[in-house]
Amino acid sequence: MLNYLLVQAVNGLVIGVIYAVIAAGLTVIFSILKIVNFAHGEVYMMGGYFAYFAIALLGVPPMAAIFVAMALAFLLSVLFERTLLTPLYSPTTERKADYGILATFGISILLRNIAIIAFGPFPLRPPSFFQGVLVWGPIVISWDRIFAAGAGAAILVALTLFLRRSAWGQALNAVSQSRESAAIVGINDRLVYTLAFGVGGALAGGAGALVGPIYALSPTMGLQPDTQAFVIVILGGMGSVGGAIIAALLIGLSEGMFVALFPDPTRSLAYAQAFSLLVMMLVLLVRPKGFFGRVHLAME
Amino acid sequence: MNQHDDARRGRGMTPTAWLTRRAALAAAAASIPLIGQRRAWGAAEPIVIGWVGPLSPPGGYAEGILMKDAAEMGADEINAQGGVLGRPLQIVYADTRGMPAEGRTAAERLVQENKIVAAFGEFHSPVALAEMEVFRKYNIPFMACDVWSDEITAKGYQQVFRNAPTISLIDTAIGEWIAAVGFKKVALLAEKNDVGLAARTAVAEQLNKAHIPNDSVDAETTTTDFTAQILRFKNATPPYDFFYSAFSEAGAYDLIRQAKELGMCPTPKCGMYNSGGEATDPTFWQNVKEAGVWLVTENVGLPQSGWNDKTRAFVKAFTAKYKAEPPGAVMESYDGLYLLADAIKRAGDTKPEGIIHALETTQYVGVRGQYSFATDKDPPWHYHQFMQAPLTLIQYDKINQTVNDAPILWPRKFATSKELYMTPA
Repeated sequence: MLNYLLVQAVNGLVIGVIYAVIAAGLTVIFSILKIVNFAHGEVYMMGGYFAYFAIALLGVPPMAAIFVAMALAFLLSVLFERTLLTPLYSPTTERKADYGILATFGISILLRNIAIIAFGPFPLRPPSFFQGVLVWGPIVISWDRIFAAGAGAAILVALTLFLRRSAWGQALNAVSQSRESAAIVGINDRLVYTLAFGVGGALAGGAGALVGPIYALSPTMGLQPDTQAFVIVILGGMGSVGGAIIAALLIGLSEGMFVALFPDPTRSLAYAQAFSLLVMMLVLLVRPKGFFGRVHLAME
Repeated sequence: MNQHDDARRGRGMTPTAWLTRRAALAAAAASIPLIGQRRAWGAAEPIVIGWVGPLSPPGGYAEGILMKDAAEMGADEINAQGGVLGRPLQIVYADTRGMPAEGRTAAERLVQENKIVAAFGEFHSPVALAEMEVFRKYNIPFMACDVWSDEITAKGYQQVFRNAPTISLIDTAIGEWIAAVGFKKVALLAEKNDVGLAARTAVAEQLNKAHIPNDSVDAETTTTDFTAQILRFKNATPPYDFFYSAFSEAGAYDLIRQAKELGMCPTPKCGMYNSGGEATDPTFWQNVKEAGVWLVTENVGLPQSGWNDKTRAFVKAFTAKYKAEPPGAVMESYDGLYLLADAIKRAGDTKPEGIIHALETTQYVGVRGQYSFATDKDPPWHYHQFMQAPLTLIQYDKINQTVNDAPILWPRKFATSKELYMTPA
């Protein structure tokens, strides 16, 4: 029994790291722009396809394709931000939160349908990063998952260092706290918004590239992780990247444990996604801001 | 294995060709409406027929697009041969997105705005059930294609016919086969929709009749990570020796791969079945690779031993045009149009009563064999059902094997394998 739970826990943590990369991107966007990006799952999906075609058409090695995917997802996100989200910064725009929701929702529908037409309706799968599975005692896990978890963790570490140690990261932090105050000290808020949206998109794209060899690429692959990412962002505390990471690991772990331990095995898999919502509700009852959330501020 | 090997095997385009084609389509998409209408053909008023099916998410758009392609091919062929009753066929395509409400709306639009005389297609049973109500209201004949719910014909609507098998035919056969092989304990996993749950129930009934212990698990259609559940199955005592899955979404590929990676199945100790059609789609092998070897699945196309000239011609033409062999659902869509055309021709006009009567007396030979539709209601789903709908259970024994080359296990009259089940090496 212990071996069985250990295996479930390891797999849950691996999934949790992937969730964390997706959720971290969503958190960065929310903490700076104060909008919920409903197109985040579709940028994740596009990242997967960018990596796939970089490998298939340009012969880029799978690991390098991750960077290609992140770069293209960054540029795609910047393009959408520059063309569709600039009304958010105008003082004459009312109900900015509603505008953000509508605009990003529209982008998600657009990207999903473009993907069907451009990439075809059938699932695709890029080559593995590493073939085969690791068998270590009771633990059986594919090398692709191990690599995805490791690379995901590296991306999260890089993000944390960027936010804490670099000038741009500190600028992002400053704008997330107060746009006006940041402007007073000379930070260009428009540039920071663009950077935030781009970084968020790059994280989503990177996650999509990591999971390509693990899950089938399809135009609708972003729907379910997007929902999980929202749960994680709320649970971790909106605006807290660290909170999102911890919440993601908790959700990944708890989903695996739920399926393993739920008394009725005929329902455990079906209820697994609902379980993460239950965890979120219970935490919010005790801590309404999530684990490390800040007081929510609307875009100024 | 790479895309170029797939292209040489006629299984898929090279990535460049694929992307080029798709990019051209994307560029044209802004100006061409998804619901296409063909130009009038000469001076004769066209006979307008509606096609319904999923062309975008959350529906099974992959299969829907292939079914639409087959319908287009059929329409082009019929019109090239002079149309029907001297009039061209005009197909109006409606994207039902896998949603009953969209299906209902599409059906209303086809009838009220496009003035269709008949309809065919669909891939999702819940959507077909919604569309049927509209077609019944307006007395429009409807040839339901790749929809398996018994309810579709069990409702007894005179307008509704079906050229695909039903759950009662398919999953009874699967259950009987599992019992015949002699599996001792079976795990069942079904997607949480009408068809998945009905399939799982039908198989479980057969297993219970044969006193084979079985356990069922349901999964959301958006599930892509089955690791935790597979581990739970693998940890069971006594162990399962067969794993049946009714999962037709993209996650089916993930399920098959994860089951293999985790060492559950297919192995010498545990076999695996996937129902729903994904195992016969063009990108199956690209997605599952070695994990697909020894997988058992169903084929609703005609077995090669029963192919007629039409089947051979259709398979050759479709493969040449779309670089993939047509799965059974595609053949159903193609034949669906021809069945309506044949009925209209024999009826001599496009009045619904004439078409319905002609369909009831059909003896048309299509790419899936000779069609006729039952008129009894015992049991209820017999009514207007194609009772000889082809159905074979196949098992892949080589990587990249086509559906038509895979050994047939069941029914035994079509079997090309000496064994009821080939135990994985």
